[in-house]
Amino acid sequence: MGRSCAIQSSKIIHNFPLYEGGNISQLEKQIGPENFPNSERYCGLVNFGNTCYSNSVLQALYFCKPFREKVLEYKARNKQRNKETLLSCLSDLFHNIATNKKRVSTVAPKKFIARLRKEKEFNNYMQQDAHEFLNFLINRINETILLERNHSKSKDALNEDKIPLEEPTWVHEIFQGILTSETRCLNCETISSKDEDFFDLQVDIDEHTSITHCLKCYSNTETLCSDNKFKCDKCNSYQEAQKCMRVKKLPMILALHLKRFKYMEHYNRHTKVTHRVVFPLELRLFNTSDDAVNPDRMYNLVAVVVHCGSGPNRGHYISVVKSYDFWLLFDDDIIDKIDHSTIEDFYGFTADSQKSSETGYILFYQSRDMETKVTNSDIRVNGK
Amino acid sequence: MAMNGDSCAKEEPKTRFSTREGVYTLMPLIEYYRPNRSNFSTNSVPLNAVHLSLVNIPDVRDYSERICLNIGKELYIYVYKGIKSGADMITQIEKKMFKTMNPTCHDFNSCHASKDSIPLLVGFNNGIITLHDIIRKDIYKVFNEEKLVDNTRVTCIKWVPNSRQFFLTSHASGQLYLYNEELPCSTSPPNYQLFKSGEGYAIHVCKTKSTRNPLYRWVIGSENSTINQFAFSPCNLYLAVVSQDGFLRVFHYDTMDLVGIARSYFGGLLCVCWSPDSKYVAVGGEDDLVTIWSFHDKQIIARGQGHHSWISVVAFDPYTSSFPSDDESPDKECFSTWYRLGSVGQDTQLCLWDITEDVLRQPIICSTVNIKSKSNECSNNGEVYNMTCSNHIGSNSFVNNHLTNNNNNNKDNETDSVPSAVSKYSPPSIKQRVLLSFVDRRDGGSASNKKFSSRSSSGSDKCNTSFPIRHSELEDPMKLIGTAACPRFDQCPLLEPLIRKKISTERLSSLVFKEDCILTSCYDGSVYTWARPGKIPLFMFEIAQFGIEEVLLLKTVV
Repeated sequence: MGRSCAIQSSKIIHNFPLYEGGNISQLEKQIGPENFPNSERYCGLVNFGNTCYSNSVLQALYFCKPFREKVLEYKARNKQRNKETLLSCLSDLFHNIATNKKRVSTVAPKKFIARLRKEKEFNNYMQQDAHEFLNFLINRINETILLERNHSKSKDALNEDKIPLEEPTWVHEIFQGILTSETRCLNCETISSKDEDFFDLQVDIDEHTSITHCLKCYSNTETLCSDNKFKCDKCNSYQEAQKCMRVKKLPMILALHLKRFKYMEHYNRHTKVTHRVVFPLELRLFNTSDDAVNPDRMYNLVAVVVHCGSGPNRGHYISVVKSYDFWLLFDDDIIDKIDHSTIEDFYGFTADSQKSSETGYILFYQSRDMETKVTNSDIRVNGK
Repeated sequence: MAMNGDSCAKEEPKTRFSTREGVYTLMPLIEYYRPNRSNFSTNSVPLNAVHLSLVNIPDVRDYSERICLNIGKELYIYVYKGIKSGADMITQIEKKMFKTMNPTCHDFNSCHASKDSIPLLVGFNNGIITLHDIIRKDIYKVFNEEKLVDNTRVTCIKWVPNSRQFFLTSHASGQLYLYNEELPCSTSPPNYQLFKSGEGYAIHVCKTKSTRNPLYRWVIGSENSTINQFAFSPCNLYLAVVSQDGFLRVFHYDTMDLVGIARSYFGGLLCVCWSPDSKYVAVGGEDDLVTIWSFHDKQIIARGQGHHSWISVVAFDPYTSSFPSDDESPDKECFSTWYRLGSVGQDTQLCLWDITEDVLRQPIICSTVNIKSKSNECSNNGEVYNMTCSNHIGSNSFVNNHLTNNNNNNKDNETDSVPSAVSKYSPPSIKQRVLLSFVDRRDGGSASNKKFSSRSSSGSDKCNTSFPIRHSELEDPMKLIGTAACPRFDQCPLLEPLIRKKISTERLSSLVFKEDCILTSCYDGSVYTWARPGKIPLFMFEIAQFGIEEVLLLKTVV
């Protein structure tokens, strides 16, 4: 049974210990003052009625350090702005969190949600799919950057609907990877390959598996036949072919979406797949292509968006993030320090009988070489 | 690498499987089940893996074996009758319920078990350790009762080989402790004094006026990285430890020197075991791989890919392996050496692997040269790795292998390529394929064999005296990628399982090879016995007439 998302804000104020004047927050006690990272702020996000899908993704993104830094950088560069965009609202929100007077507090992402509700995809008060939101947000931010870049280059040109193909944005630098799909025509044996960009990988899941296995299956060879034949340029006709998708460029932040909502024709709706899929704290990809740029990339898990409940449009979203050496659970405005072994609770279930259903839904893995860079720069900042 | 034939369709667990030596059959009547499965709350307490400990009582003719298993808050001890009898003969010796703690691991003292005394150690999730005798009821001792030594989960507990009083425990905190069961624990938190330290580990002695437990504390790996399992080598000299930080560390137990390391492909290593001749160590972990490490060469010699999830247990099958015993001189020309390895995992599957001569005899394909060529900043560290010796040959064959492998990949990218050269070198393996191309194995192989034998005398003492690993490598495992401790995929043979069978509906948590059967257990507490080929007892033939499925069905109805 999913928890209700709509928490009245008045209730929060009374229940939430952070508002108790002057006292050190519960979380600070949990972490311990000596272990509390100096420059870090932890802010819960107020739920405006079914907005936990947004809160959970925003928290996860905030703790993807390279992303956070770029958003804050954007804020610093655009002090006086002419136009309100989703990105500007996000940068305001991140700025609010990062510069908060209190180490632990609660922030109301009012402006961001108001701006989000102007978008036709999110113009209602319904629960939304966290992955759709993530996808939308990343793409929209990317478009905004490209538009603004274009705008500043040619002030008179109004080719807004044409997104120019130029040098990559920082969104590309962080999230974009390249998949290469190799197709071998079974008639002429010609191998043709095609590259495509991705911001996240959407993986099918299976019972009693690991994310590693699911990713391997993602790159399984698929035979294109009958209705789904391949148009071979060499044979100049539709032929049976074998296709295989593998990762050619590994992104800095690898976002993995576990496809937990399956459409059931029988019920005419999506139902949740609660399969147990284990995910390690450290990951390397097996399904890289032979010409991959950086196949040795080692990833660390930095954030997980967790879905609780039974269906895509109901239930609740929370997020689990890694900050420095510890793990935090963000449930809208509530923050808890958790032991890393608690992550096991979000793998999913082996038996159908088990009632609760908190399951990992979106995994954020950050490249380890990035992490060392980030901590180095942190040290420098602290050293000043 | 493509996993063909993996369908998403729900597969029913198997009740029999065949290997090249014959058919293994599940014994449906010898299934130990948790008697009471109803009050089984999973939300409050995370499920512990169900482990099995077995002991054989000497000088007892019939039913001389005892089995111990932990399920939730309970501990059961039965007479284990193997394949000899039916379920109606299950004799429960003991059942213990614990109110505030869960047993997590246990070990019988099989060296000193007798008709009159069978000591059993049990470790708990809160760090407490108990010792009791399943025959002599007057013996009951508790160690670390106040949790002053360590309050984290006991992850593994073992009697020191051949010892009546010493035992070793590992904890989730990343520490190992040596206890003497005859000594009391100190009443205050123990003070430690550094006794010995090396790269990535430190050993302390307990500083007290009178000798108290724990005698030694081993701190292993990066801070708080759980030790998942440890294993003494069958020769009783070495201790292999696997941790959540992804490292296998092999120590000389008496001198406490680190003699070798290996790193998982990624993620924590969960289980470890030794080959029956102490020459190889197998590990399994969160990378879904079974990894085989050679003690002699101090390097990873093969990886096995076949599990669909994390691996919980690896175990060599000494009864289906072939290796020269200590007395014989290892004459490699006429003696065919190969090992059978088993593994079970969270994917509910059992995998059996044959590690054949062609894998064991492969030339060293990655060496210090690779570290140097990889990046300049590592070049200093190159000389630190004295675990691989033949740089010259190593680098050459690496290049060869690398090139041929690339060719191979381009040519038959999407088909399962079976290198034709392999069959000549793999007498026992029929189904198993070694995916790496060994085209120039024959020429290079014989040359390196000579190297192997000439090295064998000097190799081990050299590594025993010192094995300097800089701490930086341990902190940044990225630097180990491409070395003998963590080769890339194309630098190391990749094995496919001889068989891979789904044998349960729940995650598997133990695997024991016995002379006439295989034992497996899973998280729900069921224990299965698989009769080996030709070992099926008479009463099973009656069942065979009606079919095992029917009998199983009958059993569940009753």
